[in-house]
Amino acid sequence: MPDTSYMGQMLHIDLTRAKFADIKIPSWLMKIYMGGKGIGAKLLLDLVPENAHPLGPENILMFLTGPLTSTPAPAMRACVVTKSPLTNSFLDSYFGGYFGPEIKYAGYDGLIFTGCSPDPVYLYIDHKGPSLKSAENVWGQGAMESNQSIKARLKTNDVRIASIGPAGENKVPFALICCETNRQAGRGGAGAVMGSKNLKAIAINGNSLVQIFDKKMFKNAVSAANKEIKASLECQGLMAAGTAGSVEFANEAGLIPVRNFSDGTSSLAAKLGDKGQSQKLWLSRSACFGCPIACSQMGAVRTGKHASFVTDIVEYETAAMLGTNLQIGDPRSVAYLNRLCDELGIDTISTGACISFAFEAAEKGLLPELPNHELKFGNVQAAARLIELIAYQQDELGKLLSLGVKKASERLGPGAENMAIHVKGMEMPAWGPRGTPGMGLAYMTADRGACHQRGFPVAYEATGMEWKGKPVKALELEGKAELVYSLQNYLAGTDCLVKCDFGSMGITPETYALLFNAATGQNIEASYFDQLGERIWNTTRAFNLREGMDTADEILPRRFIEEPLPSGPYKGHRITEKDMKYLLRDYYRTRGWDSEGKPTEEILNKTGVELNRKFSLES
Amino acid sequence: MLRPQKFIRTHFDLCTGCSLCKTACSMHMFGGYNPNRSMIRIRHLWENLAHIPIVCEHCKNPMCLKVCPTKAISRHEKTGAVIIDQEKCVACGLCQKYCPLEMIYVNPETHKAFKCDLCQGDPECVQACPFNALELLNQE
Repeated sequence: MPDTSYMGQMLHIDLTRAKFADIKIPSWLMKIYMGGKGIGAKLLLDLVPENAHPLGPENILMFLTGPLTSTPAPAMRACVVTKSPLTNSFLDSYFGGYFGPEIKYAGYDGLIFTGCSPDPVYLYIDHKGPSLKSAENVWGQGAMESNQSIKARLKTNDVRIASIGPAGENKVPFALICCETNRQAGRGGAGAVMGSKNLKAIAINGNSLVQIFDKKMFKNAVSAANKEIKASLECQGLMAAGTAGSVEFANEAGLIPVRNFSDGTSSLAAKLGDKGQSQKLWLSRSACFGCPIACSQMGAVRTGKHASFVTDIVEYETAAMLGTNLQIGDPRSVAYLNRLCDELGIDTISTGACISFAFEAAEKGLLPELPNHELKFGNVQAAARLIELIAYQQDELGKLLSLGVKKASERLGPGAENMAIHVKGMEMPAWGPRGTPGMGLAYMTADRGACHQRGFPVAYEATGMEWKGKPVKALELEGKAELVYSLQNYLAGTDCLVKCDFGSMGITPETYALLFNAATGQNIEASYFDQLGERIWNTTRAFNLREGMDTADEILPRRFIEEPLPSGPYKGHRITEKDMKYLLRDYYRTRGWDSEGKPTEEILNKTGVELNRKFSLES
Repeated sequence: MLRPQKFIRTHFDLCTGCSLCKTACSMHMFGGYNPNRSMIRIRHLWENLAHIPIVCEHCKNPMCLKVCPTKAISRHEKTGAVIIDQEKCVACGLCQKYCPLEMIYVNPETHKAFKCDLCQGDPECVQACPFNALELLNQE
């Protein structure tokens, strides 16, 4: 095989038998699905038996890189793919940092965990190969704390670690995986799957070289990509203020969640955005591996009652979900809640939604009182206590909220449904869609439940940016299905590289294709990412339908259907049943799916989804 | 002995830890990417609040050069870089032992020492840094 940026093999770790095998990925599979999300979608479909319990030994957990991960191609990441315990369907969760590239330096394109270890273990890989080590002494530790303890036990700082916190051990269905340093595979509960396998961490130090097919061409492509990033206004914004810059934007657009999404504007936004954070927190910049954007603003909470600790930037999603959404306006307090979530190992988006659900339910008298803490918006200590209760599944309240808002609202009964802000079980991120129906459609149809990263029409709807030569009108329904379909396909296609969404704000499809071709010796066109993405959307759809997804669940939370937005430029708007029907029908038609949202055999064939050609670990 | 005409000045306050310098170095030295096989180190302190790049300073008073028993270490005539002649190196390990910055590396198979050679005067790491945390300075 000529030198390419693929390592050509994956490591299969059978945790039940403590056995390892190097798995060659057949060339047909690499060719059809490229890497990252694509490979993950196909392997999940082929390797997880139908109706396997997400937290049972039959589920698999994969850490997957792409052909550009670990190279200087700017802003690349890696991903975790598994069956989600939160949604019972396909889950892909992306992470930057340094852990992803290290998988390739260890000589692998990915790690595939199957089975369940009888005792708590962590996987260690160095130049001598893989081994499983006892995690008895680190079990129970926080996600970042265990990173440090494992390094101390291995007597080296030269390993890159992915780990779970207590929430993952307790199998909280929105537990995260913390990937060095402080980058989370946050959404959908991959941390719970890791915990269910008794796998506390993975520590890697590799000495393999990642090769490039055509070095000169690659160098030129990297320069082109860097130039595009430098010239992009969006990327410049991220360099200056990370995603914190979105706080005031979302507030002005009336999209920011306030008091459990009951409103879309908040007077707290100015304090929680980049101006507030830069005053109270920020000290220096930090980057993921190989990234010229460096969207992280590192800082410290050095004053106030939570002092003192180091904090990464409070990302937009967290600033909104644990800030405006909870009526908490001090960035130091939000950084504190953020830190608690990171260390205990739970997703800040889902956790924020669970807490705002609890605050609202308590205000309406649907929840029992919590000793010593008043459950009400604005109460930082109550929020902190709830985070602990959720992560440790303590008390009735902790057990209830740790189910996620969908199941918690079902348990609470009538009256609670309108407060549960989710799609298909996944809590909604911080972009309330009442003024942006395209975003609503993206939530309804995203393959992992309510997610803003599988298609983000807000970028067009709230700004009037042009799509195919025409400015997009926020409230219009027409054309939104095509927009969502196109964005979803392109993102999924480039999630095979594995790109970071922030790099893709600057890097063009042509340059991504150039980078890929130079690194691997293949010859794709820029439009290939759309085709690849469409294949993937049909693959994940096939998986989700096989696992019992009901397309009747492709609806928005009741609140957005029934309650008009009280403020902001889209004041008075909601997305009606009729709107949703129109959007969905248009979307299914655009995808070539039947009226029930199922891919026809014709579209599966057309997009190259081969259900009968299966990959097996034994082959 | 003179300072090299050219040397790399590091600016930790601008370093983001991205490690592009290290990947460029590994490509120059070994023909592939892996920051673990770079001549540069970065100390990531305080949970990434600070990143401190460490490079060979091509010292005015190079202890590695002084301790080498075979005179395998010398100063490059043109660039002034402190370099190791692989032919003369007898893999004794003394240079590595006496570099306080730990900038001397050893080939795991031959045990011979190698180090930064300033890429013949045009260091790849400096070109690769998007944050100007590495700066090529001239003595004059």
